[in-house]
Amino acid sequence: MNFRQLLLHLPRYLGASGSPRRLWWSPSLDTISSVGSWRGRSSKSPAHWNQVVSEAEKIVGYPTSFMSLRCLLSDELSNIAMQVRKLVGTQHPLLTTARGLVHDSWNSLQLRGLVVLLISKAAGPSSVNTSCQNYDMVSGIYSCQRSLAEITELIHIALLVHRGIVNLNELQSSDGPLKDMQFGNKIAILSGDFLLANACNGLALLQNTKVVELLASALMDLVQGVYHENSTSKESYITDDIGISTWKEQTFLSHGALLAKSCQAAMELAKHDAEVQNMAFQYGKHMAMSHKINSDVQPFIKEKTSDSMTFNLNSAPVVLHQEFLGRDLWIKQIGEAQEKGRLDYAKLRERIKAGKGVTSAIDLCRYHGNKALEALESFPPSEARSALENIVFAVTRFS
Amino acid sequence: MASRWWRWRRGCSWKPAARSPGPGSPGRAGPLGPSAAAEVRAQVHRRKGLDLSQIPYINLVKHLTSACPNVCRISRFHHTTPDSKTHSGEKYTDPFKLGWRDLKGLYEDIRKELLISTSELKEMSEYYFDGKGKAFRPIIVALMARACNIHHNNSRHVQASQRAIALIAEMIHTASLVHDDVIDDASSRRGKHTVNKIWGEKKAVLAGDLILSAASIALARIGNTTVISILTQVIEDLVRGEFLQLGSKENENERFAHYLEKTFKKTASLIANSCKAVSVLGCPDPVVHEIAYQYGKNVGIAFQLIDDVLDFTSCSDQMGKPTSADLKLGLATGPVLFACQQFPEMNAMIMRRFSLPGDVDRARQYVLQSDGVQQTTYLAQQYCHEAIREISKLRPSPERDALIQLSEIVLTRDK
Repeated sequence: MNFRQLLLHLPRYLGASGSPRRLWWSPSLDTISSVGSWRGRSSKSPAHWNQVVSEAEKIVGYPTSFMSLRCLLSDELSNIAMQVRKLVGTQHPLLTTARGLVHDSWNSLQLRGLVVLLISKAAGPSSVNTSCQNYDMVSGIYSCQRSLAEITELIHIALLVHRGIVNLNELQSSDGPLKDMQFGNKIAILSGDFLLANACNGLALLQNTKVVELLASALMDLVQGVYHENSTSKESYITDDIGISTWKEQTFLSHGALLAKSCQAAMELAKHDAEVQNMAFQYGKHMAMSHKINSDVQPFIKEKTSDSMTFNLNSAPVVLHQEFLGRDLWIKQIGEAQEKGRLDYAKLRERIKAGKGVTSAIDLCRYHGNKALEALESFPPSEARSALENIVFAVTRFS
Repeated sequence: MASRWWRWRRGCSWKPAARSPGPGSPGRAGPLGPSAAAEVRAQVHRRKGLDLSQIPYINLVKHLTSACPNVCRISRFHHTTPDSKTHSGEKYTDPFKLGWRDLKGLYEDIRKELLISTSELKEMSEYYFDGKGKAFRPIIVALMARACNIHHNNSRHVQASQRAIALIAEMIHTASLVHDDVIDDASSRRGKHTVNKIWGEKKAVLAGDLILSAASIALARIGNTTVISILTQVIEDLVRGEFLQLGSKENENERFAHYLEKTFKKTASLIANSCKAVSVLGCPDPVVHEIAYQYGKNVGIAFQLIDDVLDFTSCSDQMGKPTSADLKLGLATGPVLFACQQFPEMNAMIMRRFSLPGDVDRARQYVLQSDGVQQTTYLAQQYCHEAIREISKLRPSPERDALIQLSEIVLTRDK
């Protein structure tokens, strides 16, 4: 059973969707959703994004060499796939995560690993390395860099899964039996830990202590970033009282650090110098930030957004809206959008669109996109570099 | 299944004994007589590391018990190693005091590794590093480092990298405890609330991940790729051990092998591989690496076997938590598996993971009526004996002798 077949089998275990999701964990779900579904959200034309990704795949020799995530073929994860079936009928977020991995598998798995491979190819071998190790280069990418791309994806998926833990004392009876929700937590912890253990094992096999340190620190960043996503405000309000600079720090941790440090690690594996490593880091950082802002903006610019569609109340446009408006007025607007304790997202969306948050977010997205393009100038012209540029063009496109 | 090494921390009643080797000559074998004792040693000698593949454990234990009916009592164990305390000529000393000399500031240093800007996340991550226990795992690692260094070139110097292994071992262990507590829905640990009960399950999982990432950073900074591979194996073993616990075996022999494999992965692997790591850092000889690994493996398994015994023999007050914890989690440990031989009706309870009302109490009664506790204790003794046999291959040193004493402490502790 290859990876694709494994994924195709998962829906049988997952069954039909449950009732609408509860707000108490929706911030995590919004994030998972925005992380997982890059395809439909990156531009008005899905075909354009698909084309960019498809062409990039050819450049790095996808999918045969990359789609091998060997640990996913193990007995352990087959066991988990069986166990997840028991959660059908409950509101455990692990179901949503698993479905997300199935339905958005190409986007979930492609982009981080794909970017690592592209930047590996764009950089090529360093002068130090030209005389040796060329024997294990395929399509201009070292096998150790391909392993790194897999490791990056494993860490990303592991934290996606660990995001989906529920607090047992916040459950409502409609969420499902306590025993089943407890079991869902158990499986989510074990499967995330399993992926992390495989990532650690993969790192050890790279035999490069600098890379191990880089990726371990990326994991620490990611955990802290996810923690911030989970933190409920100590006030009774449902949004954080932060400015855009704090938002950027936290978003770098949760969405940028892993890619930035993985890009840098790919350069280290090819023995590139500190300057090249830094440029790879900068590309990864700014591209990831740009992409995150793009996905945050989507709920506010799509023409046919459903009235019942919720959005992340701590996303870039909302934070910018609050910053322009002031906290007190923003809280007032939230209060006005609440009817019988239920938030009217459609009304709130209109308020935000009337402000400067959305246009500022688009500007910020383009700012980060331009910084990513600047970093690429340190790499010699090549089709891999062009592919990296096209990814930036795609995520900064809003027409 | 939560490891219960923490029990050692609370109110440890063990103290250095003043006893001498006993009446008669130092080499006296004890009540069993020279021939019987020689028979025991010969049998033990033939089974290096108690290899699972050599003989089904049920049959092995039956065979040994029938051959040596009087050796089950714990007090007899000491007589089988009469030379252990006098061999080096060193004064008898507390192995914990000896180990702590290299571990001063351990918990402060661990907290320094948890460089986090968010106060709550930092508080959660540091919560179990309270320094109130005796730190069984780091102690073993520190003693092993010195024992290997002395064996190699008589060096009395402990490397910073070796001390870092003790710190990393403690962090990996604690990270797994945080996750185990969520998995088991535990309410208390070491007499205080668990991380998940105070901060909720979502944040607790992240705290465990954070401790693991900090341990990985510290490991990478040692700068030794062999050591990174060795300790990465521990992380993998901990997860696989938890997976093994999800499943059950129907066949009696498979069940026991399954239990011991899980025991190795969840408890002994960390000790074995940490001992191996410090030996790699201190000594180039692969024979020494294997000795360190085997000592750690055997002591680690014995530790867990006794933990499982204490689940049945310690009263609630001493434990700080309800007894029969494993039965309530649906787990069949050593005493249960042995008891099942005498009370076959336990088979059905094991397969349904003690899920019917009254199963836990009935299973507990069966265990106490059987010789399951006795058999498990005996098995632990065999593992400790093997550990001592391995570590005795190293050049005599106070730390080597302390490791021998530790393996005896593992057997005689009451919590």
